[in-house]
Amino acid sequence: MHIPDGFLDPVTAGATYLVSAAYAAYAFRRLRAERGRLELVTPLAAGIFAAQMLNWPLPGGTSLHFVGGALSGILLGPWLGFLPMLLVLLVQCLLFHDGGITALGANLLNMAIIDVLAGYAAYKLAPPRRKILGAFLGGWLGLALAGLACGVEIGVSSQLPYGLAVTVPVMAGWHAALGVVEGAITAAVVSYISRRAPHLLEGGGGREAA
Amino acid sequence: MKLRKAYLAVAVLLAASPLFLVLSDMVGYREPLDLAAELLGLKDLSEEVNWTPFFDYTVPGLPPALGYAVAGAIGVAAVVLLGEALRRVLK
Repeated sequence: MHIPDGFLDPVTAGATYLVSAAYAAYAFRRLRAERGRLELVTPLAAGIFAAQMLNWPLPGGTSLHFVGGALSGILLGPWLGFLPMLLVLLVQCLLFHDGGITALGANLLNMAIIDVLAGYAAYKLAPPRRKILGAFLGGWLGLALAGLACGVEIGVSSQLPYGLAVTVPVMAGWHAALGVVEGAITAAVVSYISRRAPHLLEGGGGREAA
Repeated sequence: MKLRKAYLAVAVLLAASPLFLVLSDMVGYREPLDLAAELLGLKDLSEEVNWTPFFDYTVPGLPPALGYAVAGAIGVAAVVLLGEALRRVLK
């Protein structure tokens, strides 16, 4: 999911940097209202970073790791939820070269924006008694959409005339399947938090009284 | 107090990480992105333009499995430092 240096053409790299920078600027402005929850950003970022270190081997020679954007969106909302993913992706890129510096804009767009928004929206829209299902769907949808976006980005960067026709089915298909695991982990973490510390859940509604 | 628990969970994940490195190497770590890139003939330039001694979660001089966990701890420390700096700026 982390696009390395060399996969994106300059136009795609530049365009995704612009979109992510604009979102970041808007998110930082909206943060002023959410300062009280700012202390949750660092521990969540540390947890997501560590969880991403665990590569789960799958039969057939594919691997995946938890991404965590949807979880961040569910716990912190669309603006504050951007921050843990920003921290994780910055450290991964700068310290470990996991994800290219030219692709940082695209990686932020996929994992810190699209994944976060999908998780937040699915959780928010779920009825009060179905919040855990909403968390599962958020994790699944977030990964599938992030994979699709990643496929589009490298597809349009390809020199091949049929780039998109190759990348979109591969990326969207695989991530829609792998997203089931992301959804399950997201739902498990949200379920745990809703029982142990319901006040930590973003105003998705319905769990505050639990 | 809840936050301390979160860091305990982080430590557990890091301690378990070498096992996952070994397991995923056994099946041949391969993300869907690698698959798509191969079909397109895209070239990963990471190794050629590398700037960090901790490339791909290794630590110079340490065996890969141990280096992986140590790199993870270094990464968590960096996330925490950066996160706390950001919090001060935004407060």
